[in-house]
Amino acid sequence: MPNPSNGSPEAFELDHVSKRYDGVMAVDEVSLNFPAGSTTALIGSSGSGKSTLLRLLLGLEWPDQGQVKVDGRPLENGRVLELRRRVGYVIQDGGLFPHLTALGNLALLPHHLGWSRERIRERAEELAALTHLPQGVLQRYPAELSGGQRQRVALMRGLMLNPDALLLDEPLGALDPIVRHELQDELKHIFEQLGKTVIVVTHDIAEAAWFADRIVLMRHGKVVQDGRLEDLRRHPAEPFVTQFVEAQRTLRESSP
Amino acid sequence: MKRWIAMLLASLLLPTSLSAAPVRIGSKQFTESVILGEIARLAARQADIPVTHQRELGGTSILWSALEHGDIDAYPEYTGTLTHELLKNVPPDADIPTLRAALRPLGIGITDSLGFDDTYAIGMSEDRASQLGIARISDLAQHPALRFGFSNEFMDRTDGWPGLRQRYALPQMQVRGLDHALSYRALASHVIDAIDLYSTDAEIPYYHLRVLEDDKHYFPHYEAVFLYRLALEKDAPAFLDVLKKLSGRIDEEAMRHMNALVKLHGEKETAVAANFLGVPPDVDGAGLASRLLQRTLEHLKLVLISLIAAVLLAVPLGVFSARSKRLGHVIMAASGVLQTIPSLAMFVFMIPFFGIGTWPAIAALFLYSLLPIVRNTYAGLVGIPPDLRESAAALGLPRGVRLRRVELPMAMRSILAGVKTAAVINVGTATLGALIGAGGYGQPIVTGIRLDDIGLILEGAVPAAVLALLVQGVFEGVERWLTPRGMRIEARD
Repeated sequence: MPNPSNGSPEAFELDHVSKRYDGVMAVDEVSLNFPAGSTTALIGSSGSGKSTLLRLLLGLEWPDQGQVKVDGRPLENGRVLELRRRVGYVIQDGGLFPHLTALGNLALLPHHLGWSRERIRERAEELAALTHLPQGVLQRYPAELSGGQRQRVALMRGLMLNPDALLLDEPLGALDPIVRHELQDELKHIFEQLGKTVIVVTHDIAEAAWFADRIVLMRHGKVVQDGRLEDLRRHPAEPFVTQFVEAQRTLRESSP
Repeated sequence: MKRWIAMLLASLLLPTSLSAAPVRIGSKQFTESVILGEIARLAARQADIPVTHQRELGGTSILWSALEHGDIDAYPEYTGTLTHELLKNVPPDADIPTLRAALRPLGIGITDSLGFDDTYAIGMSEDRASQLGIARISDLAQHPALRFGFSNEFMDRTDGWPGLRQRYALPQMQVRGLDHALSYRALASHVIDAIDLYSTDAEIPYYHLRVLEDDKHYFPHYEAVFLYRLALEKDAPAFLDVLKKLSGRIDEEAMRHMNALVKLHGEKETAVAANFLGVPPDVDGAGLASRLLQRTLEHLKLVLISLIAAVLLAVPLGVFSARSKRLGHVIMAASGVLQTIPSLAMFVFMIPFFGIGTWPAIAALFLYSLLPIVRNTYAGLVGIPPDLRESAAALGLPRGVRLRRVELPMAMRSILAGVKTAAVINVGTATLGALIGAGGYGQPIVTGIRLDDIGLILEGAVPAAVLALLVQGVFEGVERWLTPRGMRIEARD
């Protein structure tokens, strides 16, 4: 089973953060708190600013206004490398490097940090068990993997250093429904098991509710509503919330 | 370590000035000049003076600049070229003592006339000339439809076509530049009607040409002389004695005869020169195989050194270009401009910096190789999908590691394609190196064009083509070997 976490889970905070691309507000005066150890789903239609928000938390983008805080301290350029190593980041297509095998992808950062070959292999096998990755897949190149395998490897890459937080940007967005369903179960299981701070971006409200109690609904760069699915259903902050919830027909009975 | 690097640099930058030993004679890229160079070399050898002869070093500007920079010690020249091309502030009809005084401040000396005047003239085929009733250059003005083919040098120089056209008010519009060795053939096959020629050309009787009378005395005297570095008065006085003793010994008849032996009877310049001096010629030992081997080595040296140096500079330049858009524009524009410089000009530009021989040729090829490699490195890097670039950053890898472990491997295929393009172009362009004394496959091509000898041209052109194909093949292997396997397989879905 996974190593115990090195430090305490990471807490993230956005304080009146705005980010503009070519004059369009991608994130508009957003203030949000992600307490250590919590799981949050960021939801909204495409272009609502939810991916940009994740990238701001990792220092992949810098706010035009406002401040990003990690563990209570402002995020600065000098801190980002160290921060990124304590955060696992997984994107829609996995973002695996095509010139390296799955194991090569996993080994990239640990190798740079001086891990031995042995230690890297052991950790990879441990994570393969956690993510139910079949034997032998680690030796293959990304182009030889199925979509589900690619996402599993990407998640493993994010978990190699046993980070304090996981940021997932539409991690299941490119998968077919059956694989997606299977991975939703596994991911939820993994989140519960690891007890890390998790922020997952999705556009599917059922998936959001499955992963997290707390749902943050965004539109045009602003937070529309922040609460449980029940709150969104019963006490919508504006008509758009109802419209968004109703539009999702795949809502499952099993969700809270 | 630093001293080693300094010495290495010095030996790269000053390849010739360190070795003072043999006297170096140069000659231009036409038969008469090569014969005169050989006569001087054999005469010096007879007097036990160590001497080398760098044959066929291109045109006047290359020889003159090589002499000025001390890359050669002496070469045959003509007084008319000095008065009209090389020296400012001398009258067009200056005599040799006047020229001697004008050359002295430049550190250059001049012998007395070797005994003949090789002036420019205009020639037509006898048939055509008598049919049109043309005997003098001024008669040409009555026939504006005539087609002229002039050597490239004659087209450009002030004492060539531009001045001639003005003096005689010639109306002809169809005037084109040709290699001198090809112009006789063009005339014989009626593609053109009149050409420039030298009064000692062997072909005049052979092709039944009529030399038109210069009735307005336009063409200046072109007395053959040797130019030499005045430093020889101290360094090699014995050689100067030999050179000066050649004065007055070669008349127009003798020169035309020697030219004919080489150009029309296929004798070697060395043999003709030795025969003239009455000395035994060199033993011409090198067979085809050893000639080919030597030229291959020379050619490979030019291509490989320039290519390796270009990769070392161009890949980093490509990386910078991909990093900063503005810097990228500047770098790309600069290497693009380099590419537009005509190859021969590029080789000549390098002479003031590197002298003549291998190194200026390598420098020119190096500059030509930059653009394809810079451009392909840049294209390979900016072609990486942004989400992969960001994934590498999000992992927490420092910039340098991202470049080495992720970005360059992903751009490798494109970079190698750029190197391959540069290599193949270099194999072809390197043949021009022969014109500045770099040897290689260009040597037989240059000589072959001059002597109108197809066999000799093929002796250079065929190996060059084969080498280009080999380079192409080798690089395809290297590409397969260096391109990561994961980059070669197609995604499953």
